[in-house]
Amino acid sequence: MVDNNQLKEAVKKTVSRDDVKYVVGYEKGTYGFQATPTFAYKPEDSKKFIFSPLCVHNLAVFPMLEEKPPLRKGQEPDTRKIGVVVKGCDSRAIVQIIQEKGLDRDKVVIIGIPCTGVVDPKKLEKMFPGHIKNAELKDEDNKFAVTVDGKTTKVSKDELMPDKCKTCEYPTPVLYDILIGKEIKSTKKEDYKKVNEFEKKPLKDKWEYWEKQFDKCIRCYACRNACPLCYCKECMVDQLNPQWVRRSVDLSENTAWNLLRAFHLAGRCISCGQCERSCPMDIPLMELNKKIEKEIREMFEYEAGVNAEEKPLLAMFKPDDPEEFIL
Amino acid sequence: MDTLLLSKKDLPKFITELIKKNKVFAPVENNGTIIFNQISKPDEMNLDSCKSEYPPKALIFNQTETLFKFTPGTKAKIESIDLDEKKVIFGIRPCDAKSVAILDHAFSDDFKDPYFIKKRENTVLVGLSCIKPEINCFCTSFDDDTPASSKYLDVLLTDIGDNYYVEVTNEKGKQLTKGMNQLLKPAKESDLKKKMEIEKKAVDMISRHQKTNGISEKLDKIFEHPMWKEIAFKCVGCGTCTYLCPTCHCFDIQDESTLTKGARIRVWDTCMNPEYTLHASGYNPRPARTNRVRNRIYHKYNYYPKNFDVIACVGCGRCIDLCPVNIDIIDVVTRAGEVKP
Repeated sequence: MVDNNQLKEAVKKTVSRDDVKYVVGYEKGTYGFQATPTFAYKPEDSKKFIFSPLCVHNLAVFPMLEEKPPLRKGQEPDTRKIGVVVKGCDSRAIVQIIQEKGLDRDKVVIIGIPCTGVVDPKKLEKMFPGHIKNAELKDEDNKFAVTVDGKTTKVSKDELMPDKCKTCEYPTPVLYDILIGKEIKSTKKEDYKKVNEFEKKPLKDKWEYWEKQFDKCIRCYACRNACPLCYCKECMVDQLNPQWVRRSVDLSENTAWNLLRAFHLAGRCISCGQCERSCPMDIPLMELNKKIEKEIREMFEYEAGVNAEEKPLLAMFKPDDPEEFIL
Repeated sequence: MDTLLLSKKDLPKFITELIKKNKVFAPVENNGTIIFNQISKPDEMNLDSCKSEYPPKALIFNQTETLFKFTPGTKAKIESIDLDEKKVIFGIRPCDAKSVAILDHAFSDDFKDPYFIKKRENTVLVGLSCIKPEINCFCTSFDDDTPASSKYLDVLLTDIGDNYYVEVTNEKGKQLTKGMNQLLKPAKESDLKKKMEIEKKAVDMISRHQKTNGISEKLDKIFEHPMWKEIAFKCVGCGTCTYLCPTCHCFDIQDESTLTKGARIRVWDTCMNPEYTLHASGYNPRPARTNRVRNRIYHKYNYYPKNFDVIACVGCGRCIDLCPVNIDIIDVVTRAGEVKP
């Protein structure tokens, strides 16, 4: 359980610094169980900051969404740092982006939260449906304590957590400037259970499954925009000359988009699950990401976003690489 | 208006009758998501969900619409598209039906869009009243809209227990239900009473409300207000809110071809995408997310009311339900009404 007062204090201290522009964290949302990203520009803004298992967003996306409008003559760019509140998985996104030189380590102040698992909002809604204007959810004695209209129910974590939390190996941020509370050591191990099971299916079944999923895609690109690692200045899917993916929303183009997205994140995806969480059509995008992650782990013994000093997978070369895939 | 009664156990027969003469589209479940699809049997429908995730506007204003086909090269041949297909949209909710009436202004007032108009003419809207509105439903915030309003529908069914109370509001509806005397019996005064009770119950269930009084005029005064920047800061810039919105209607036109065949298509576009307003010169009049987030609200609550005297929001709540960062149009508009200019 994270001490919210300690968090508020850390945010206040950070935003008070002369070299910090703002801090991004979480506040209570507008209805039901919602939490929402929020920004502190002044010390008093820190009062609204919270952390609970409802804080499902990966805020590492926000430094990447920074807009740099053209400057007026004589105007200096604002080069101050951005403070970001991160969970374990979120911090790996920052590490990965630093590795790729997409972000300067000096330009972020990382407020780390040792995370004991968040909820899957879709599972939560299924379990607690209906007109919930105001609700709370806390981590208590290794269970989620869900309070709706003053009535508290304790639910086992496994029932409400997304898959990524069930096999999380990095509950404590791998990189931080301030840590709220004590470090948590993980006892969990990624076993790629879903991927392994899916691999056993005949090719025809696999294709049928993904055909049905991609058919639902509406190409809103929420998966891309919510992803902290999708920070290309111009996404290949938006390019017109040449046009890599057509604008038609049909199975063929949707498949092209979804596979390209997954492949562009090969060796870069840190499994925060934002793509899947943001998908309005409920496409299980993490199953694609996990398959690629598994292949990379097995082939190159590489894991994305763990060490900021390391080179990105696609930028390294080992002379003793067995290169078994080359005939 | 004709008021009739359809026994609940006769609903499959009613649907089968409709399928005989029309292409019938109804809410179906597709891997956990409710969408409107063509059905061939009544049991393919799923009427349990309050609303489909994907809006039924897509059946009249398709996400990808082929305008015409062609063969490339010097001896190009052009093939037009047949739009005469008769459609019935069954199970559309009153809010989604209103959205089609809102789209009518954009596609048939100043400029007559032949594709939309033809499809609209050939489509009969057979609605189903909402008896269980969801948390983010707020249709009652607009005019005299209710979850059981037949105003924008050709036929409306309301679940009143053992029967559906059937309102046939116009000629289109009459034509559709003609010859179904076996299934549709005249309704009594007591049935209307039951419908009104159910309607009132549904109205009372709606717990979130948006303050829309004088919003259009207020927005004129707060274009430069810092609140827009504050809201836009957490926007990740995806197109979920606009694509799922039943009244959003922007599109892009492209020619897509291979060596032997091609088509001019029209696809939904979204004002949340920076490319949407990017000029050929490289200049972008809406360069930042602030401009784009504000535009979505202004288009619905200021520009549309000014042009067509109706707010371009029906209160379906889809953009609130599915926004990845909880940008909440009820909250945004209410705040806009409260801030000092």
